Parts: sequence; C-alpha cells; structure tokens
Amino acid sequence: MKHLKAINNKAQLLDKAVAEDQVEEVVAMQSLAGCAATTDPGWEIDAFGSVTSLCQPMESDLYGCADPCWWPAQVPDMMNTHTNWNENAQDSGESWRNLGTVFPSDKK
Amino acid sequence: MNNKNKMRKTLRSLMAGAGIVGAALTSGYTYANGPALKAGQEYMVVANYPNQIHVLDLQTDSLLKTCKVPGAYGPGVLQVAPDKKTVYMLTNHYEDVYGINVDDCSISFHTTFSNKQKYLRTKSLFSMALSPDGKELYVMHNPTKLNRDHYRVQDSYLAVYNTADGKDAKPVRTFPAPRQVTVMATGKDGGLYMAGADIYKMDVKTGNYDVHLPSRNWERPLYVQPDVLNAWPIQTPSKDFTILYTTARFQDEKQDLATADWIYGYLNVDLETGETETTDFGPITEIYFTGMKSPKDPNLVYGVLNRLAKYDVKQQKLIKAAELDHSYYCIAMNHDGSKVYLGGTFDDVAIYDADSLEKLGNIKLPGGDMAISTSQIFVR
Repeated sequence: MKHLKAINNKAQLLDKAVAEDQVEEVVAMQSLAGCAATTDPGWEIDAFGSVTSLCQPMESDLYGCADPCWWPAQVPDMMNTHTNWNENAQDSGESWRNLGTVFPSDKK
Repeated sequence: MNNKNKMRKTLRSLMAGAGIVGAALTSGYTYANGPALKAGQEYMVVANYPNQIHVLDLQTDSLLKTCKVPGAYGPGVLQVAPDKKTVYMLTNHYEDVYGINVDDCSISFHTTFSNKQKYLRTKSLFSMALSPDGKELYVMHNPTKLNRDHYRVQDSYLAVYNTADGKDAKPVRTFPAPRQVTVMATGKDGGLYMAGADIYKMDVKTGNYDVHLPSRNWERPLYVQPDVLNAWPIQTPSKDFTILYTTARFQDEKQDLATADWIYGYLNVDLETGETETTDFGPITEIYFTGMKSPKDPNLVYGVLNRLAKYDVKQQKLIKAAELDHSYYCIAMNHDGSKVYLGGTFDDVAIYDADSLEKLGNIKLPGGDMAISTSQIFVR
C-alpha cells in the first residue's frame, strides 16, 4: 500500500480502517449494499478451465444468478435496482428473447 | 408459433383464469386448485416464478396443487413446518417470509424485514429455519442503511419470530450473529445450526453461539481451506444438515499443488444427535451445487448440477452418473431413498431412480423458473 495514496472518501475510509485494525470488518461484508460489491467471475469458464461444469444451457442459470446479484457484470441487479427485469420472461428457457438491456434511467 | 407452444399458451391462459376465479373466493392473493393433503402421504413442495408454491404428490409423481404467494419472487427458499401443513417461503427479493397453509393456500404468517421509515433495506440470504415445535421462526437479517448519499452496511443479526403472530409479525427477540451466514437448520434439542464461515450453533434463548463444526477454520493437516456453496437449506429425510465442500490435500509438507489430491467431501450435522462429520467422498471431477446422503444407505452420497452422480463414501469412488437434460441446482430424495427429485433452474422437476439412476420422468410446473429455490420432500 505504500505506493498508493487515498484520494477519495472510500479510499480514505479504507486507510482509516487499516489504521484502526478494522480491515476484517471491511472485507467480511455480505454483498447486500448493491450488486457492485460483488466481483465473481462469470459464465466464461469453470473451475477446471473448461466449460463442462458451467450450467447448461446458460438460461437455466440465469435467474439463479440474477436474483441474488451473483454476477452483476453480466446481468442486471434483480435484487435491488431492476427487480422487474424478467417480468415478460418468467420462463427463461421459453421467453429469454423478451429480456432486454437496462439503463440507469430504468431503475425502479 | 408451433402447435406445442400454442397448447402451452392455452393451458397457461386456462390456469391463469382458474387463479382469478379462486382469488375472488379467498383472500385476493391466494387460491387453491387442489385438495387438502392426506395424512401419511408423501409430498414435495417447490417454488417458482411468479411467486407460487406447488405441491407435488409423490405417490403419482404429479402436480397436486398450486398456491399463489403475494409479492415478487426470489429466492423461493421453502421450509416445511413440523405440522407438515404450513410451508414458509423466503421471497419478495429476499425481504419477506410468508407462511402458507398448503391445505387451502391461506396465509398464516407474514413478515417483511425492511423498514422504509428508517431507510433500512434488510435481506436474508437463504437463512431461515423453524424450531422443532414450529412455534418459532429464525431468520438472519442483513440490513443496509440507505443514506441519501451513501449506504452503510449494518451488523447482521438473528431475528426470532413467533409463528402465531400472524400477518404483521415482528421479531420477538434479536441476537448479534456472525456475518456471512446463509443456510440454517435446527437440531432436535432446539439449537440453531448456522452455516457461514464455519457451522455455528446458537442457543436461541440466550443468543450465545460457538463453532460447532469448523469449515473455513478447520484444522486438517495437509488440507487447504475448503470451498463451499451454501444456498439450499434442504430438510432431508435422514435429518442430516449436509454441506458439500471441495478442497485439496497436499502429499507432504512441501505443499506442492501440482501433486495435491483434489477432493469432494461433505460437512454434516446429525440434527437428531448433534454429531458432526467432515468426510471426503471422492475426487473432484465436476461441480455439484447440492448433495445429500441416501436415506437408506448413509454410505451413498448423491450430487447434482450437470449430472446426477452417486458416490460410495467408504471407497471414495464414483459409482454411477446420469446425464441430465439441463442443469438442476437442488437435490431431494423420498423417504425410502428409492427416488431422486431434481429441482431449481427451469420449470420442471426431474425424477431419477436412486439405484439405477435411470430417468423416470419429469413434472412440468405451471409458471416460470424455479431459479435458486429450495425444494422439500415431507410426509404429511
């Protein structure tokens, strides 16, 4: 950390946490403040560097991952900000074509 | 649109119509389109979009009835009460619990965790359990304070509800609890097992808790820390609280990952006795999201995601595996251990013979995806 300097509030809070030996509190939060707190890798590759243990087809895994913000970079945050994203596609295998792209102005 | 799709749409329209008629007769939210459950008979409950609970009759392996639940769907975690009549559902984007009487689909219990007046958004990640007498419901609360310009994550805590408190239930007790708890189960002695970084046991009267079975902090020479996925609180016929792990075991103190054994295993709490197990059952060659011990032979363990696999625990060997039509997240078995029922992901439950792993059929559900729901099997 010696080459990094905190320049915004969040980074300064992290510095403060380190100084107060509170890093564990920062690290151990659950991913509930918003989907952006989660940085899991996505649907590209499985634990073996292959694809056979990825869900098949990917639609079968779609709402299991969108509902709990599992992969926020790939699908909208259905837990908090885009809760109605799949209202016209509740059966993902049949109606995935009704799923669209979301924009900040779509937020509920 | 082909004929198959036309028929499907027509069927759904008819079912939706039946729902509207039923809603007018009952509370406006719920409807019952099937008979009350029969004592001594085995059933399965599953949840799916758009926020409904289905009861499957396991004598005929068919859909018996569907109960609508108010609000939005997700995650659809179900817990069956000891009366085998009330099914509790964690739903509405992880913020509400409903208790549904599956005989007539009426709502006996409801609580919502978030408090808009206090700008608190509170979620429970799959963590819900019932006391052995069914009088108390335990739910982990994970609140976030939504300030105007920033959010603040608050301390997680356990909330205890009286299940008799009806449709506007509030916690009667709360206790500080460890962060990162997801699935929970209660033991016969009333202690609450909470699976997070480790499996804790909490005294629900005092809030005192301790590590009952270490997971992240296990001390197994030559083993690395395990990796676990805890999202399905399955109530098993054998009264086991089972969580799969993956790990690696080094050959020696050099800790060379290149020669390490990669292993699947399970952490288990016997809910009758409190006895614990940390048991390797085979090499890791594929991923399973859930697994469980056979109710008729504890030496057999099943795992599921893209295949349904069966292991001999003592020999740590894969006995057999069945290819599946698609991924399924959530495993369940009937009480005599003869059939495996696969749920979650899409909108069908797949049934397999537990011995041969031959496919026996599917039960198609009205509505949409089950997604990350936990299905349960019980005898009324």
